[in-house]
Amino acid sequence: MNLEIKNPVAKLFFYVILILWGISVLYPLLWTLLDALKDNEQFFRNAPWALPDFPLIWENFSYVWNKYHFDTYFMNSLIITAGSTGLGLILSAMTAYVLARYKFRGSGALFLLYISSMMIPFVLALIPLFFLLNSMDLINTKIGLIFVYASSVLAFGIFVLVGFFKSLPKELEEAAIVDGASYYGTFFRVMLPLSQPGLITIAIVNILNIWNEYIVGTILINDPSQYTLPVEIGVMQAEMQYRTEWGPLFAALMITIVPVLIIYIFFQRQIASGITAGAVK
Amino acid sequence: MNSGTAKWQRNIFIASFIIPTLIFFCIFTIYPVAQGLYYSFFDWSGMSDTKTFIGFDNFKEMYHDPIVWRAIGNDYFLVAGKVVGIMVLATFFAVALTRFGFKMAGFFRSIFFIPNVISVVVIGVLWNFIYNPQIGFLNAFLSLFTKEQVTITWLGFTDHTIWMLLPPAIWAGIGFYMILLIAAIQSIPASYYEAASIEGANQWTQFHRITIPLVWEQIKVSVLNIMMTTLNGSFVIVWIMTEGGPDNSTQVMGSYLYQMAFRQYHFGYGASIGFVILILSLITTIVLQRLMRHETVEMS
Repeated sequence: MNLEIKNPVAKLFFYVILILWGISVLYPLLWTLLDALKDNEQFFRNAPWALPDFPLIWENFSYVWNKYHFDTYFMNSLIITAGSTGLGLILSAMTAYVLARYKFRGSGALFLLYISSMMIPFVLALIPLFFLLNSMDLINTKIGLIFVYASSVLAFGIFVLVGFFKSLPKELEEAAIVDGASYYGTFFRVMLPLSQPGLITIAIVNILNIWNEYIVGTILINDPSQYTLPVEIGVMQAEMQYRTEWGPLFAALMITIVPVLIIYIFFQRQIASGITAGAVK
Repeated sequence: MNSGTAKWQRNIFIASFIIPTLIFFCIFTIYPVAQGLYYSFFDWSGMSDTKTFIGFDNFKEMYHDPIVWRAIGNDYFLVAGKVVGIMVLATFFAVALTRFGFKMAGFFRSIFFIPNVISVVVIGVLWNFIYNPQIGFLNAFLSLFTKEQVTITWLGFTDHTIWMLLPPAIWAGIGFYMILLIAAIQSIPASYYEAASIEGANQWTQFHRITIPLVWEQIKVSVLNIMMTTLNGSFVIVWIMTEGGPDNSTQVMGSYLYQMAFRQYHFGYGASIGFVILILSLITTIVLQRLMRHETVEMS
C-alpha cells in the first residue's frame, strides 16, 4: 500500500539516519548496564565506552540494594505507584461514566473543570501542597504522595474514559436494567469489565508517569525511609560530588529503568493508544 | 410516586459517583492552585505563621530581578529549541516509518519511544555523565582527535550553558510526538496518496501537499504540548543537571521557584513566580494558536 522509495541512494540515506538515532537511544542503556559492572578505578583509567574488566562487579547491584537501601525505595515506589494508579483509576472511572451517560445540571461545567485543569501548570501547586500535606500530617508519608499523584491523574483519566464510555453501545446497559440490575450493578458488573481496554491504557500511562515522577516526591518527602526511586537517584547524584561511586550509581539507574522497560515491552500498544487518546483535544 | 423514587435513586447514584472524585480533586488540585495564586500577594518565609499582605510587591520585585528575566529568556529558548528540534525529527521519523515502506519500521518505532518511558532524573544523570569533564563521553571522544586530553566543563560555561540542556530535552521528547504523528498519518486514506502518485506527484510533493495539511491538527497539539510541558516541567532536567548554575545562568522559572521557595524560604516570592508561569503559558497558548491557525482540512 505504501509507496516504496525508488531511489536507492535516498533509501540508504534514510536508513542511516534511522539507524544512527536507534543507536543514540539504545547505546545509553547498554553503557548504563556495562558501567554498572565497573569499579571506580576503571572509570578513571579507561575510556567511558570500554568494556568492564573481568570479573564483572555484580556486587554493585547488591551494594546499592542493601547499603543504599534500594530495597526500601523499590518497595516505596511500588506501593505508591500501585496505590495512586488504582485510586486515580476508580475515581476517574466513576465520574467519567456518569458524565458520559447521564445528563444533569452542571455536567458540562464539571467536564470543563477537569479538562481545563490540564492547562494549569502544576508548579503553581507545589508550594501550597507542601503546606497542605504538612497541616494534614501527611508529609513524609506514602499515603500523602498517593493522594497527590492520584489527584494529578484524574483529569487525563476522565477525559479519555468519557470518550471510551460514550463509544460503548447503550443496549448493553438497557439490557442490564431490564434484567433488574441496579445503577451500581450495571456499572460494576457490565460497564467496568467492558471498558477494560480503556482502563488498562490509562493505568499503564499513569504507572509510567508516577514511577518516574521526581519533583513532587522531592518536595513532599524528606524522610529517607520514605524515598521513591527517582528521589533517591537525585539525592545520590548530588552526593557524588563528595563520594564518587560511579558503578553503584549506574546500578541504581538500572534498578530504576528495568521495571518500566519491562512494562513498555509488554504494553507498547496500550501506551501508543494512550498517547493518541490523550492528545486529541 | 414511583417515578419520584426512581428519580431520587438516579440522583443519589449520580451524586455518589461525582462527589467523592470532586472533593478529592478540590482538596489536592484546585485548592493548592488557588492557594498558590493567593500566596503570591504575601511576604512569607513559610516557617513562621506571619504572612504580610504586600499587594503586588512580589511582582514589582520580580520586575527588578535580573534572574527572573534570565529565567524567562531561558524558558523560551528551551521552548523554541525543543519545538524546532522535536517537531523536525519527530515528523521526519513519523513520515519515514509510515510512508517509505521500510521493513523494520515497527522495530524502529518501538526503539525510538524508549527515552519517553525513562524518568527525567535518570536522563539527567546519564547526560551529566556524557558531559562529565574528567570521565565523560564527550571529552573522551574529542580526546581521540587531539594530542592532549580534552577537559571541557560542558555544564560550567559562564554563558550559553543552557544550550547544553537542549540535546537531552530533545532526545527525551521525540518518541511521544512521533507516535502521535504516526497515528495521524496512518489515518490518512491510502487512496489520497495513490491518486497523487498517479498524477505524478513525488514523495516531497505528497509530503507537503497531503501529509502536512492532514496532520496539521496533531502538529498544532504537539507544539502546544511541548510549550506547556517545557514551561511547566523543564526545570526538572535543569535542576538535576545544573541546579540553575553556574551563577544562575541556566535558571528557568520553575527551578527559580523551587530555589526561592524550598532553598531560600521566600515562599511568597516563589508563589508569585508560579503565577507568572501560569500567565506566560496562557499568553503563549493564545499566541501560538493564532499563529498556527490554518484551514483545517477535513477528511470526508
